[in-house]
Amino acid sequence: MLKEAVEGQVTVVCNAIAASVQFQVEPVGRWFEAFLKRRDRNVSASFQELEEEEELSEESEDEELQLEEYAMLKTLDPKDWKNQDHYAVLGLAHMRYKATQKQIKAAHKAMVLKHHPDKRKAAGEQIVEGDNDYFTCITKAIEILSDPVKRRAFDSVDPTFDNAVPSKAEGKENFFEVFSPVFERNSRWTSKKHVPKLGTMDSTFEEVDTFYSFWYNFDSWREFSYLDEEEKEKAECRDERRWIEKQNRASRAQRKKEEMNRIRTLVDTAYSCDPRIKKFKEDEKARKESEKKAKAEAKRREQEEKERARQAELEAARLAKEKEEEEAKQAAQQAKKEKEIQKKAIKKERQKLRTTCKNWNYFADSEAESVKMMEEVEKLCDRLELVSLQSLNEMLSSGTKEEGKAAVEKHVQQVNAQLQKEREAEVQARQASRSSEQASSGSGGGSKGWNEEELQLLIKAVNLFPAGTNARWEVIANYMNLHSTSGIKRNAKDVINKAKNLQKLDPHQKDEINKKAFEKFKKEHAAVPPTVDNAVPSERFEVSGAEANAAWTTEEQKLLEQALKTFPVNTPERWEKIAAVVPGRTKKDCMKRYKELVEMVKAKKAAQEQVAAKSKK
Amino acid sequence: MAAIGVHFGYTCACVAIFKDGRADVVANDAGDRVTPAVVAYRDTEQIVGIAAKQGRIRNAANTVVKVKQILGRSFDDPEAQKHLAESKCPVINKDKKPRYEIDMGEVTKIVSPEEVAKLVFHKMKETAQSALGSDITDAVITVPFEFGEMQKNALRQAAEGAGFSVLRLIHEPSAALLAYGIGQDSPTGKSHVLVYKLGGTSLTVTVMEVNSGMYRVLATHTDHSIGGEGFTQALAQYLAAEFKKSYKHDVTGNPRAMMKLMNSADVAKHTLSTLGSSNCFVDSLYDGMDFDCNVSRARFELLCSSLFNKSIQPIKALLEQVGLSSSDISKVVLCGGSARIPKLQQMIQDLFPDVELLSSIPPDEVIPVGAAIEAGILLGRESSALDQDSITVDCCARDILVKEADDSGADVYTVLFPSGTPLPARRQHTLHGPGSLSSICLELYQSQAHNNTPQEKVAQIVLNNLEPKEENHDIVTVVTMKRDGSLHVTCTEQGSGKSEAVTVAVAS
Repeated sequence: MLKEAVEGQVTVVCNAIAASVQFQVEPVGRWFEAFLKRRDRNVSASFQELEEEEELSEESEDEELQLEEYAMLKTLDPKDWKNQDHYAVLGLAHMRYKATQKQIKAAHKAMVLKHHPDKRKAAGEQIVEGDNDYFTCITKAIEILSDPVKRRAFDSVDPTFDNAVPSKAEGKENFFEVFSPVFERNSRWTSKKHVPKLGTMDSTFEEVDTFYSFWYNFDSWREFSYLDEEEKEKAECRDERRWIEKQNRASRAQRKKEEMNRIRTLVDTAYSCDPRIKKFKEDEKARKESEKKAKAEAKRREQEEKERARQAELEAARLAKEKEEEEAKQAAQQAKKEKEIQKKAIKKERQKLRTTCKNWNYFADSEAESVKMMEEVEKLCDRLELVSLQSLNEMLSSGTKEEGKAAVEKHVQQVNAQLQKEREAEVQARQASRSSEQASSGSGGGSKGWNEEELQLLIKAVNLFPAGTNARWEVIANYMNLHSTSGIKRNAKDVINKAKNLQKLDPHQKDEINKKAFEKFKKEHAAVPPTVDNAVPSERFEVSGAEANAAWTTEEQKLLEQALKTFPVNTPERWEKIAAVVPGRTKKDCMKRYKELVEMVKAKKAAQEQVAAKSKK
Repeated sequence: MAAIGVHFGYTCACVAIFKDGRADVVANDAGDRVTPAVVAYRDTEQIVGIAAKQGRIRNAANTVVKVKQILGRSFDDPEAQKHLAESKCPVINKDKKPRYEIDMGEVTKIVSPEEVAKLVFHKMKETAQSALGSDITDAVITVPFEFGEMQKNALRQAAEGAGFSVLRLIHEPSAALLAYGIGQDSPTGKSHVLVYKLGGTSLTVTVMEVNSGMYRVLATHTDHSIGGEGFTQALAQYLAAEFKKSYKHDVTGNPRAMMKLMNSADVAKHTLSTLGSSNCFVDSLYDGMDFDCNVSRARFELLCSSLFNKSIQPIKALLEQVGLSSSDISKVVLCGGSARIPKLQQMIQDLFPDVELLSSIPPDEVIPVGAAIEAGILLGRESSALDQDSITVDCCARDILVKEADDSGADVYTVLFPSGTPLPARRQHTLHGPGSLSSICLELYQSQAHNNTPQEKVAQIVLNNLEPKEENHDIVTVVTMKRDGSLHVTCTEQGSGKSEAVTVAVAS
């Protein structure tokens, strides 16, 4: 006996329950197998127990079957059985296709007990004789509903089934309210189990996808043999039966097609109306767009970064350039200023010299002499530079007239000598250019250029190896190649040609060459910078460079050449080694010399080629 | 289709067939329902069964007995060593595995225990086939509860080697329960069952819990020193003493005479289980002298009384171990040939005065019958294969009780949902409340972890505004527990349809 609830007691949970524990059970017995089955099928609730309970409840319902619809039964025409609702006849109108075989049988039994003609007769009812009694309808109903095939045929054309497909307009408004029942009721035709639900707005993409893929691949068992117009059984002969069969098949196929179309339309409509699909599409689109945007953004940023870097670089370059320019400008200004100052000083000195000379009446006694002296002084003014002018002026101002005159005359002599030398050099240069022109034109087209040195070498060789020497010209050529500084390789033919040319030349020219060779010899061995005296001020730097250049003695040159040969190009630290072999020369000097030599050879070659091209013309 | 259950014991093997909804043991070609698990090797043939057992007198060195003791064991195993000491057939060590050395005249044959077992299984298969008249392969094999993985595998391989397709290996005590169909009728309820198995060489006592049709071993005890053979030995010793008394000859030192006496004592022992007295007769036991002696059941019981006491003792210890009293045991299942002995049965009955002793199936046949029933259940299932030998299931941890008042008004607790119920599960109870009341209160409790008396209140359900009526209020209470242990209780008053429900969450 349960107790009475005390006033104020309410339904309440007051404590948590202990969690389940795990035990090992013996793998025996039918309940174990049932458990295993449940577990394998992953049915969460005690599935079998539920199933059994359901069965129990069904059975209890059977007994409460409603059998009050006699009125309807009595109106039935047994001849028109095809159009009757068999479920209604058996009182199962509320169950329809969900009725189990058990229920159908039970209903039929109940019906028979009530409506069998014998029973009614006993109750004193008037019975229509033959097949016209409404009991035939009951028989027909059980006949159809108890046969799975026939029942399926009848279920397929269930008159209460709503074949309607909602329109798009309807679906747009309340998608779920409209379509959910439609899919629910159409799912009864599926031959597959587990029909996916339409779901709600919150359904995941997978769920929606499964739903539509299920419905697009809908496998229906619905068939339309019940609606056959011709009855096969009524045929009188085989041919007729075949014709009927054909007819029926065609109409069934037609109807089946319509049915498939109907389902297809339904799914299409639903798909087009489904707000979730729209949402998924939008989501997808948004996702893609955002992705695209992010990409573009990244690209843009990258470009900006690049641009900025470039700008910064440019700016830096510009700044550096500006600075340089500024410096150069300043330097130029400085130089200009200095130059101006110098100019002014020179002017001043010159003026001073002139006035001094004038004061002393040009150290002359006669008018003519003074004029000449004036000329000389003017020359001095022109030619002398600041320092010497200053010293001269100083000497002039400090010394007596005699001393001054001597100084002036000494300077005048110097200047005159310089002028003379310059003139001579000019003449010499002109002569040299002429002779070299002659030489190059004399060596004939195509042959390599012969410079003086080589000519000297050739003459020397020719004299060294007189006629009658074995393979004389080859030996000469070899000798030349060995001793030449120009690096140009000569073969025997070249040498023969040149020698012949030289023989043809007048003895005067030969003499000249010899003389030049002597001059050069003298120049080189004297080791005196020959041009230092006649150098113009503006050429000073170049002169010093020439000085270094000229300072390469033949000895050194030879050593250098030898070194170049012994240390081929790929020798590591080639120039250090070369410099070590050539005494008194640094690595830098050697490299410079080598470069010059190469430059010279190249220039010569180019000149020769030009000449050759000209001559060819 | 038919399936068979095979019990392969230390001393005997037995086979039962499941056919047409019932399981029965079949007799072998010698007409015996139980076949001795003895294999004798002779020149060219191997003999299994009673012939081998009897032939052991002359052919002890080539006869293998109790092969199950070393089956699947390594040579160094203490059990194997024990067998080694007893075995008349020489055992050698080969790759740490024991092997029998069989003398085949010129050559010695090395035989593995698995091969011996295979021969026994083959004999059982033949027996079943001859009874059915058709080939049979599907079988359920029983194994002792204490068998390890290696031994189970060895047994399975031996059975498969004999041509069986092993549906499953099941434990002997479970098979015994299944033979009586304990817990198989209804999937509700919980009870405790004691399985007492006294075989030829071993005693096994097991306490099992039956809940929702599923079996669970709570505790088990095995003693390899007690068994039917011990009783026979005692009887044989007595007989030898009798012989000495009358003929002044000591035969205890003569193995062949002792073996003859043992066989005779065995037969006498079996007879004494049904008859009050038995006659022992051995032709030319010693030196051409025949031996004839009458043994009464009382004499036998006296001889073995200390052994019997020893056989009973483990029961009490085991019950203490699992914390149950003898009244908590609802059934006692007897199995093993020696459990036939009337004195023993009586001693067990004395221990459990209110409990039914199940011995309607001959105790030595209980296990194979159970195996055959299991084979029948498994037969025709698509996937009878089990990944593991034992399955772990989620079970309810505590009893769920409801507080009620008895006629005198005192509190009583009724179990609605017993502990150990495999989950998920649903139980339905109809509770009654006095019709005069307009409101009823159900108080739900859960039992404490160790002792059942102090309860812990879990929830209360109050049904208000009931119409007072003359007859009782029927309250249908549905208790559902999910796999994690969470509880859902629904109460519905049948008359008015009023209902209340609570869900109790699991303590974290």
